[in-house]
This record gives sequence, C-alpha cells and structure tokens, in this order.
Amino acid sequence: MNIKHLIPTMALLAGSVASGVALAQSAPLDLVGPVAEYKIYVSENVDQLARETAKFVAAVKAGDVARAKALYAPTRVYYERVEPIAELFSDLDAAIDSRADDYEGAEKDPEFPGFHRIEYSLWEKNSASDVKQVADKLLADVKELQARIGKLTFPPEVVVGGAAVLMEEVAATKISGEENRYSKVDLWDFKANTDGSYKIVELVRPLIEKKEAKFLAEVDKNFKTVYDILKLYETNGGKGYVSYEKLTDKDRTVMAAAINKLAEDLSTLRGKLGLK
Amino acid sequence: MMTKQETPAPRDVTARKGTRIPDAPTNRRMALKMGVAALGAAWMGGVGAASRLGGHETNVTNAPVTNIASPEDRVPFFGKHQSGVINLRPANGMIASFSVLAETPDALERLFRRLTERAIFLTHGGTPPEYDPRLPPADSGILGPHIPPDALTITVSLGNSLFEDRPWLKPHKPRRLIRMTRFPNDALDAALCHGDLNLQICANTQDTTQHALRDILKNLADQLVLRWMQEGNVPVIQPGPDGLAESARNLLGFRDGSANPDAGDEALMNHLVWVGPERNEPAWALGGSYQAVRIIRNFVERWDRAPLWEQEAFIGRTKVTGAPLDKPYAKESDVPDYTRDPEGEKTPLDSHIRLANDRTPETQDNIILRRPFNYFNGVAKNGQLDQGLLFICYQADLEKGFITVQRRLDGEPLEEYLKPVGGGYFFTLPGVAHEGDYFGSALIAAVRAPAH
Repeated sequence: MNIKHLIPTMALLAGSVASGVALAQSAPLDLVGPVAEYKIYVSENVDQLARETAKFVAAVKAGDVARAKALYAPTRVYYERVEPIAELFSDLDAAIDSRADDYEGAEKDPEFPGFHRIEYSLWEKNSASDVKQVADKLLADVKELQARIGKLTFPPEVVVGGAAVLMEEVAATKISGEENRYSKVDLWDFKANTDGSYKIVELVRPLIEKKEAKFLAEVDKNFKTVYDILKLYETNGGKGYVSYEKLTDKDRTVMAAAINKLAEDLSTLRGKLGLK
Repeated sequence: MMTKQETPAPRDVTARKGTRIPDAPTNRRMALKMGVAALGAAWMGGVGAASRLGGHETNVTNAPVTNIASPEDRVPFFGKHQSGVINLRPANGMIASFSVLAETPDALERLFRRLTERAIFLTHGGTPPEYDPRLPPADSGILGPHIPPDALTITVSLGNSLFEDRPWLKPHKPRRLIRMTRFPNDALDAALCHGDLNLQICANTQDTTQHALRDILKNLADQLVLRWMQEGNVPVIQPGPDGLAESARNLLGFRDGSANPDAGDEALMNHLVWVGPERNEPAWALGGSYQAVRIIRNFVERWDRAPLWEQEAFIGRTKVTGAPLDKPYAKESDVPDYTRDPEGEKTPLDSHIRLANDRTPETQDNIILRRPFNYFNGVAKNGQLDQGLLFICYQADLEKGFITVQRRLDGEPLEEYLKPVGGGYFFTLPGVAHEGDYFGSALIAAVRAPAH
C-alpha cells in the first residue's frame, strides 16, 4: 500500500479548508450533466432489478429452491448499486431490503419481508413453501420502486452524497457479514455497493479533476484496494463470488480500512462540489 | 464540563494534588502543600502526592478523590516514558485494540507520527480547526468547541502479531513479548483478545476518553481498524477520615491495589516497571514496559451469596477496611506478616493476596504495577450481570511479572467467581521524548539501520 502522499494531503486540505478557500464555487449547473447521466444509470439498474426479480420470484413460487438460490445474489446486485436512491423511499427500502434485526421477533416476526425473508427460508429451511406470498409482495414493491424512481427528480446532493452513503452501507452492514447472513453472498453486495459509489465518483470527476487531484488519487487508491481483494474471491471467471466466510481476516481488515477511508474522504465530496 | 468562556490557565496536576481534599485538618493541608512542592517535578503529574505524605505509598490504584479532578488537569505528554503507567488512575479508562494496516517501515512511521500528532493535540487540549459548514466538522464536538485536557493520557502498546506478521519487524520484537496463552480458568473469546496495537486511553471523564477514541478512528481510518475495546472506571470516593487517599474497590467490594509498588519511587519503577539496559532487550525498547491486559468477568450475583468470612478468606483481606487478616484492626496499607502465620490460620495459604505476593525476598522481582478499572457491560445471555475487572498491569519482564503471578494464582479458590474472557500481552513503547519525536521512533530507526 502506498499512502505516502496522504499526510501532506490531509494537512494541506485541513489548512486550506480552514481558511475557507478550498471549496469549489461551482454552480449546481455543473452537475446537470452528471446527474442526468446518473439517472440513466439508476433507471437501467432498476429496470434490470425488476426483470431479475420477476425471474427470482417465479422460481420461488415454483418451489425451485436451487434456481431461486442461484438467482438471489445476482438479482440483488441491481438494488445494491443504486441503494442511495432506493433509500429515498424508506417504505419500499424496508419492504425490499430490511433484515431480521429490524424486527423484534427477528426471523419469526410476521412483519419481516423482502429479499432477506426469502433468503432465510431458502438457506435455513431449504424451502420456498412459506414465502410465496412474500415473493409476490416483493415483486410488487420492486415494480412500485421502478415507477417512483421513473418520476423522481434527482436531487444533486443525494446523487453526490450517495458515493459516501454506499461506503457507509458497506462499513456498517457488509464488513460484518450481517447483511446476507444465511446465504453468505455478501461479496456480491460488497461489489455492487462499491460499483455504485465508484460510478458517482466517475461522473463528477471532470468537475474536480484539476483542483482535487490528490484527493482523487487517494480515493482511487482505496477503490483499487477493494477491487483488488474482491478479485481474489471471484468464481466462475468473474461471474460470482465465494462465500463471505472464505474471506481471510487479513483481507477483511485491509478492506475495512480502505472502506473506512473511502467513507471519510467521500463524506467531503458534496462540500467539494459546492453542495450542501 | 467547560463552558464557552475563556480557558483558564491549565494546571499541572501535580501542582495542586492534595490541596483541596475536603475536611482534612488544616495542618495536614499545609503539610500536603509543602510536600507537593518538595516533590516538585520529580515525576509526571497525576500521581497522588497526598498519600505519600501520610506514610501511605504513592499508589496508582488509589481511588480518585471527590471534587479534585478538573477539566484543566493536564498530564505531561513528553518524557522518557509514556504517561498513563505510573500516573494515578483518573476515574475512567479503556483499552482499544486495533489491527495495524502498515506493511512497510514507511507506512508504520506514518501511522506512529499521525498517532503522535493526535495524542499531542488531545492530551494538551485546544480548539479544533473550523471547516466550511459544507464539510463534515473536524471534531465530533462531544466536548464542545474547546477540548479540555481533562487528565487525558493515550498510551500506545504493540502486540505480538504486529511483529510476527511482518518479516522486517520480527527481528526487533521485544524478547519477552508473546501471544497471550490460555490459563486453566480462562474462557477466552477470540473477539476480545490480542491485537497489533492497543491504546490505553484514560481521563477524568468518559466523554473525554470517547472523544479521543473517535478522533483517532477518524484521523487514522485507513491505518488502524478497531478489533475490540473495553471501558472501565474507578469509583471516585470521599477521602478517609484522616484526609488520605485509599485504594479503590473492585466489584467484589474489596479494595484492590493495596500492595501495589510505590509509583513515586523512581528506582523501584526502574527496577519493576521500565525496561532498563540490564534486561537485555533491543535498545529501542529501553524506557518501555510490558503490558498485560485481562478482561476478567466477576460472577457478582454468586459472590454476593458467599458468606463474608469466605469472601475474606478467598481474598485475604478484611472487606470493610482492606486490612490484612492477621491485623484486622490495622490499616489497608499495613503489611501482613506471613512469617507468624506459616500454616495460613489467619491468612489462608491459598488466599488471593498471599498467592499473588507471599512477601518473601524470592518473589519481590515478580511484583507488578497494577492499574485496573471496573467494567459494567450490562446483562449476559443468562440474565446475570456482565461486569468485572479490566485488569491492566505493567512490568519490566512479562514472564517474571504477570505470567509468574498468574501461574501462582491458577487454581485459587477465588476462581469460582472469576472468568477471564479476553485481553492480551503488549509492549508499551518508550515515551515521546520531545516535540518532533514520535511514538516508536527508536523502533523505526532500528528497522532502518543497516544489518550488522
């Protein structure tokens, strides 16, 4: 790992920001292009989510446990990439992606819905028989999400802030392996969250490339750390990932540090773009 | 806590110790003041000078006295040794254990320098920079806009794995540093053990220790990953009727630390606590110390159901005063005379204090400097209280110190009420000597020196 430039960079940043000169005066207009492009990215992902969820739900309803298991992680990828936008609709986010800990009765709580409720039955019970209604509801919720996002005006601060939000997601729930605790497919989510975050950085990069070269170099370095480790755990020629349990303690630590640093650095991205 | 007003001039904690003990006789107060002056700058702040003068040793385990602590207490940071070892414990402490990301000497140096920078700022206190409000603030703000020193100490210690996992660092490992191994009564939880580096963070208030931790996590986000932590505290007590400090009680209700070596005795500390040239350690380690940390759960409900005589027999002291059992009307600080009680009729041979320190010349090199904190972790799965002792001790030789003492304690009757669940062995770095120096500078220099 080469973080030679980190400390001087931070010192420079702290000094110049403190004196109030570092922040871009870029008008929100600058972001029209990136935001429009991001909207396309989100729409494509949500459309794909709806298509893949329909297949997943069909497998669940047909009682085809093996196929449902195989479709579970690849379907969720489209959700995890655009989570900051999906989360704007908190009712749907809870319906689609909440975890057993969000309910007092945990797995047995009748309120526990969505992907993770189905995940629980597929992996813990090796059955899909008790989640057919849950599956119907999931598909309806995903379609509702698709419809709402279609009508959404994307607030630039949410788009830009999403880069950090995704890293916070990883730091809070993915590193621990809590998100997909029955299927252990967390590396898929890990990759999808990271892709979603990196996409946002790529979209705004031209706006800050000159002024924030060191910042971007540091961000790129940490993204690379995460991607390099994820690559070690790919299966099927890059089409999937091994179980999260296979991740060594060492790699988990290195990823955690890179993710924590990305969360810290990207938390300044809105400010750097002159957004509140 | 501090209000927004002008910061009063910081006070060196040594300069006023003992001057404000309520209800102490006037002549005593005078004596204390004079004594404090006499002690002068002989040692770092925070050590209870008051106790020294009453024929009571200067004991780091003396309980903090009510109304003495101030947010402006400042423990000097620079010195031959790190602070946080022979200073009197403030009311709050924690151990936070980390994985270290540094894989090269350069990276480790950057980590140590950054840590030093944060520790200097936090222990000195001050005002964090103000950023544009569109950015996250530089500081968590939990102490308000001005950060008081609040007797904060941040003590850095290195674990066995830091050395073992890095071929370039391994040859420089302190000779007696090992990975903590299980003792017979241990039920170690892997999630609460070991670590590449730990910080012992102590301060008058928990807010200050937490503030320091959050600052370090934020500023070293890609250099340190937190593995486990345990917080604890020391009961703040009224001074005794004679105005003198006493050892704090642990959660078994007994005074803990009565027989701790006198931290005011520099020669004794150099012998028992600090690594000196005679230890045959790597040169960079001189002035450091070995730290043993143990998270020792106490089964307090069961303890509270044990008869008093049995509790006292297991510990070897009277519960109310802390006096040794052979001198029940004596003071806590009076020393038991085991030569007059060879059969253990008064102080049972297997009592905790007698096993730990039999007061014979042969075992005096095994004496350790204890600096523990009580912890309260809520309720365990079985519905019983999860509380106990965050045991921390320092010694110049880990094997002769903690490990030998613990081996003597293995199988003690008190074990029925204790369950060590975590901790580890670490090497506490020598001090940061002056401005510009940094934690571990001598180690980094040794790593970079051409091999002979």
